[in-house]
Amino acid sequence: MILLNYIAAFFLIALGMYTIVTKYNLVKTVIGLSIADYGVNLLLISIGFNPGGTAPIFTWSELDYNSFFVDPVPQALTLTSIVIGACVTAMSLALVIKLEEQYGTIDTRKIRRLRG
Amino acid sequence: MNLLGNVLSYQHFPIYAIMVLFMGSFLIAAFGENRRVRNILALLSITASLIFSLLLINPVILRGEIIGYWMGARSIAGGYAIGIALEVDALSLFFALLAACAIFVSGVYSIQYMSRDDNEKEYYTLYLLLCGGVMGMVLSGDLFNMFIMVEILTFAAVALTAFRNTARGAVEAAFKYLVVGCMGSTFILVGTAMLYAQTHTLNLAQLAQLVPGNMNTATKAAFALLFVGFGTKAFIVPFHPLAADAHGAAPASVSVIISGVLTKSGIYGIIRITYFLFQSMGLGTMQFLLVFIGSVSMFVCVTMALAQHDFKRLLAFHSISQIGYVLTAVGLCTALGLSAGLYHAINHTLFKGLLFLAAGAVLHETGTTDLNKLGGLARKMPHTTVLFLIGALSISGVPPFNGFASKWLIYQATYQKAVESGNIGFLLVTVIALITSVLTLASFVKVSHSVFFGQLPPELEKVKEVSWGMRFAMGIFALLCIVTGLFPNLVTTYLTEPAAAAAFSVQRYIEAMGFDGSAAVEILAGSFRYAGVWEPVSWLLVLCIALLAVTIAALAGRYDNVSLCRTAAGDSKYQLFYGGEEQSFSQLGGDDMFWGFKHNWRGYFSFMHRLHSGIVNDYALWAVADLALVMLFSLIVL
Repeated sequence: MILLNYIAAFFLIALGMYTIVTKYNLVKTVIGLSIADYGVNLLLISIGFNPGGTAPIFTWSELDYNSFFVDPVPQALTLTSIVIGACVTAMSLALVIKLEEQYGTIDTRKIRRLRG
Repeated sequence: MNLLGNVLSYQHFPIYAIMVLFMGSFLIAAFGENRRVRNILALLSITASLIFSLLLINPVILRGEIIGYWMGARSIAGGYAIGIALEVDALSLFFALLAACAIFVSGVYSIQYMSRDDNEKEYYTLYLLLCGGVMGMVLSGDLFNMFIMVEILTFAAVALTAFRNTARGAVEAAFKYLVVGCMGSTFILVGTAMLYAQTHTLNLAQLAQLVPGNMNTATKAAFALLFVGFGTKAFIVPFHPLAADAHGAAPASVSVIISGVLTKSGIYGIIRITYFLFQSMGLGTMQFLLVFIGSVSMFVCVTMALAQHDFKRLLAFHSISQIGYVLTAVGLCTALGLSAGLYHAINHTLFKGLLFLAAGAVLHETGTTDLNKLGGLARKMPHTTVLFLIGALSISGVPPFNGFASKWLIYQATYQKAVESGNIGFLLVTVIALITSVLTLASFVKVSHSVFFGQLPPELEKVKEVSWGMRFAMGIFALLCIVTGLFPNLVTTYLTEPAAAAAFSVQRYIEAMGFDGSAAVEILAGSFRYAGVWEPVSWLLVLCIALLAVTIAALAGRYDNVSLCRTAAGDSKYQLFYGGEEQSFSQLGGDDMFWGFKHNWRGYFSFMHRLHSGIVNDYALWAVADLALVMLFSLIVL
């Protein structure tokens, strides 16, 4: 069951990279970055998953050696990663808007004043 | 009193050094409307950060301690690190000092340099975020924390690249940097996640304890992901086009940080994962990987630099060429090699910072960095010219400046490695390093000719020298360039050798955080001794005597002090058969020098020109291809 998660995660990362490499539309490049990011989030969450575990939220009195919960560290990592992913999307879309203003196009093949 | 003593204990200094920068950034964002308040806040935080790093020299470098600091006193439970740690050994502190110095000088410079831009508040907010990210990354003892800091510095660097968003190509450069930089960050995060899945820890010391004994396919893949991820931060081949775009478009004070400090943090990441986490540097194949990438970066970037005609873009390519030297020396995995590489890292930060600041001074006064539009500025900006020449001589490796000392050590280290290992390939590396040095000198002859010497274009008649604040900042770098060149023994004894020794004592690194380091692989390092005697002070005398002789000869001979000015009506140089005699000199443009060399190598240059296509998809493809190759390589050899 969890294997499917890993396969899906790496599939999403690969799909994101494929999108970035092959699509000439800047907005699609941004979408590719997001897809790769979702793949990483899925990977992180799957790593911390214990089948049958509860949410890792306890008070001191509740916590004992019989408590069985999923690993909280990857969840914290995932939250951070989601925030960073949102920043990437926001910032790159802002840059796309500026690029469209300056170059009049969002085709990557035409945005190449800096080369050589 | 006890509390105060506790707060001022040097154990806390690493977190203070990081914190003051972030605090400064947030305070400026909140209260930075007033220019004076903003400048004071920025100067206070960069000075405080510098002081805290300097105060750490005594315990960490001189007494050889390793500071292990657990945030919130959450340390180890059940044999696993549960808190976030900072771990400062001599290697971390070395890079932190480098960062703090460059941040300080560049901060002083930007107060004058950025005074004509609007949105200065945002500039300082982002600038201090970038600095805090670098500082946090090199002092961190936690892999995920390193990733966070890498993201912070990437974002701040991207935003600052696009800061002058009306400048030519700034937004384009920022977008390309963002796409490939984020791919690199994604690689680092996936690598971190895969290591966590195998070892259930993120602490660097504990990873160094657990990873080498438990190598499997996942950890090997994680190595490739981390290596390529940090490679994008160091801009080594194949990520060098982004460096050229980003350094070229960013304001000069930011270029200093991106090229002098951000690339170093990438190198730091690579040293951490190869020497510490995976302890794989003992393998000949791993040395080959680093030396190969380093040599290719060195050579490709210097030839790319020769073909440039924009001042800052040219400097950016040189920057990566010098990073190639550092990576090559680090990849040798000998004590001398690592020490030489770190020495070159210091020197690179100093002379490249100086050169970028000089380029910024030229841009500030003339409004352009196009080599074909500049010329003859030595008459108008004499101090900047002298400072630039010190930087140019340093980067070209002319004795007695600092570039020579470290390059000499790198030649010796590669040669010694070739002798010790009996591998002819390392001799080839020595030769490539020498050729690169010659080409560097050639392209700086071109820059100094077409910017500072030659004829003054009429439209630059009114150019003035830059303000004292900017000259002061450049002067600090120039002074440090000369000092580190004249006293190489002091630099190696007190900075690079402790840092190199720290890189070879993985066991101490693990045990400093309270883990069992007995299983750490000890790499035989060799000695720091090097053959050959190098007397920089006598070379300084030789240089002074030569300069004196030239001056006397020039004064004794008939010296026409004519003021040359390029006529607006076109240059008679181009009137091939019937012109040319009217003017005794004609300006040689940046593109014209070395035309014969470029003509002979036109196949290579046009191939390179086509390769650096400027299309972001190509660069992304290179990143993916690089990852695939490194992953294949590490799956086979690790």
